[in-house]
Amino acid sequence: MTALFRLFNVTKNYGDRQVLNVEHLEIEAGHIYGILGPNGSGKTTLLRVISLLTLNDTGKLEVLGEHIHWAPTQLLRLRRQMAMVTQSSYMFEGSVFYNVAYGLKTRKTPEPEVKVKVQESLELLGMLDFINYPARKLSGGEKQKVAIARALAVNPKVLFLDEPTSNIDPSSSIEIESYIKYINEEKATTIILITHKLFQARKLAKQMFLMWDGHILEQGPTRDLFHDPRDPRTRKFLKGEY
Amino acid sequence: MDVIWQGLKEGFMLILSLDQELIQVTLLSLHVSLTALIIAGIIGIPAGAFLALKNFHGRRLILNITYTLMGLPPVLAGLIVFLFLSNRGPLGDFQLLFTPTAMIIAQVILGFPLVCGLTARAVMTQQQEVYDTSVMLGATRTQAILTLIRESRIGIIAALTTALGRLIAEVGAVMMVGGNIQGKTRVLTTSIVLETRMGHDSRALGIGIILLLLAFIIMLIILKLEKRSFKDDSTIQII
Repeated sequence: MTALFRLFNVTKNYGDRQVLNVEHLEIEAGHIYGILGPNGSGKTTLLRVISLLTLNDTGKLEVLGEHIHWAPTQLLRLRRQMAMVTQSSYMFEGSVFYNVAYGLKTRKTPEPEVKVKVQESLELLGMLDFINYPARKLSGGEKQKVAIARALAVNPKVLFLDEPTSNIDPSSSIEIESYIKYINEEKATTIILITHKLFQARKLAKQMFLMWDGHILEQGPTRDLFHDPRDPRTRKFLKGEY
Repeated sequence: MDVIWQGLKEGFMLILSLDQELIQVTLLSLHVSLTALIIAGIIGIPAGAFLALKNFHGRRLILNITYTLMGLPPVLAGLIVFLFLSNRGPLGDFQLLFTPTAMIIAQVILGFPLVCGLTARAVMTQQQEVYDTSVMLGATRTQAILTLIRESRIGIIAALTTALGRLIAEVGAVMMVGGNIQGKTRVLTTSIVLETRMGHDSRALGIGIILLLLAFIIMLIILKLEKRSFKDDSTIQII
């Protein structure tokens, strides 16, 4: 298996506070990876560093097989193979079509192809009827579906999901979970999912990382991590005591 | 109360009579203020976006100076332009003093900090979220910045309307560098000053009403354009 991401001694500080300190991390292609941890444990910072949105302070970072030297051309080339959906995805002012077509238009995709891809993505998420609807008028669950469709339209190798269902109702959550599974299985997209919902991580992720104070406390197959956690803090966290 | 009633009547009479001098004064007011606004917008919007997005040494100081200049007294702006354009000034050879061009320059100096400062503020309020969303969808840095400016339109339009309000109602600077010369540099605000000094209070008030109507019509046009560009997304429901 090819490693999509490799981190060696990567750190990130905000002022005097160290928010990330990862000695070694490898993420391979093809799976759904879950990142768990209490608030402030560094999950989002880790996601932002590997998605090339936040510069690490020290350490070595490899993304999609390339050592990162933060040159704008390299960032653009690599970011165009990734996409992200956050917990309250920003919708650009305009229609659902405008939002889903955005990534394709930045790549100067021909107009007929844009239309086809936007329709395909929205159809997959069951949102085709909303194509001309103002994106900001959608409900939370609908916005998240549009955000996923928008990310899928650019056919990414890696999809980052930062608590994609934290602000939406249970039935929409279940629906989105099924799309996440489908995208991974049918489109072979590697998915890196931050979630606070233990049952969601258990249901979706094949591999897990548990973060604590900026460190990766424990990692391994989801089943092992849930059944036989090695660290007492992991045990407590999985029992919901943090 | 009589003066106000008389002023209202005189204002409407002036509009209905299509007074040639008044039309000329009104057109010059529009020409000076709108030209100054366009120039301030062309320079101020990119400058504001640059200040909001680019982290460089001295940025905070420049932002503070810009915010301070948003309250620049018009007479001071007029005085600076006067000193530069007078015969003894560095730009005296251009013979621009007491021309509409001098008035436009003075108004650009007044309008630029407003457009620049308010644009910077508008872009700064949502920059990270919009920028991150854009680049994670594959936008280049330029495309992401253009998206950010597009998404900050409400704030930028507010900056332009605020600047226009200040420019069209401004009297100190245009008086100083324009000289209120009949048929040449007289605008609505300087006409009001002149008529008041001459004791024509009702006529001064009448011209004031015309100025107010003009500002109202321009703002309506801007708001109409804004509404068309935002459809009904620019409203919120308060229950």
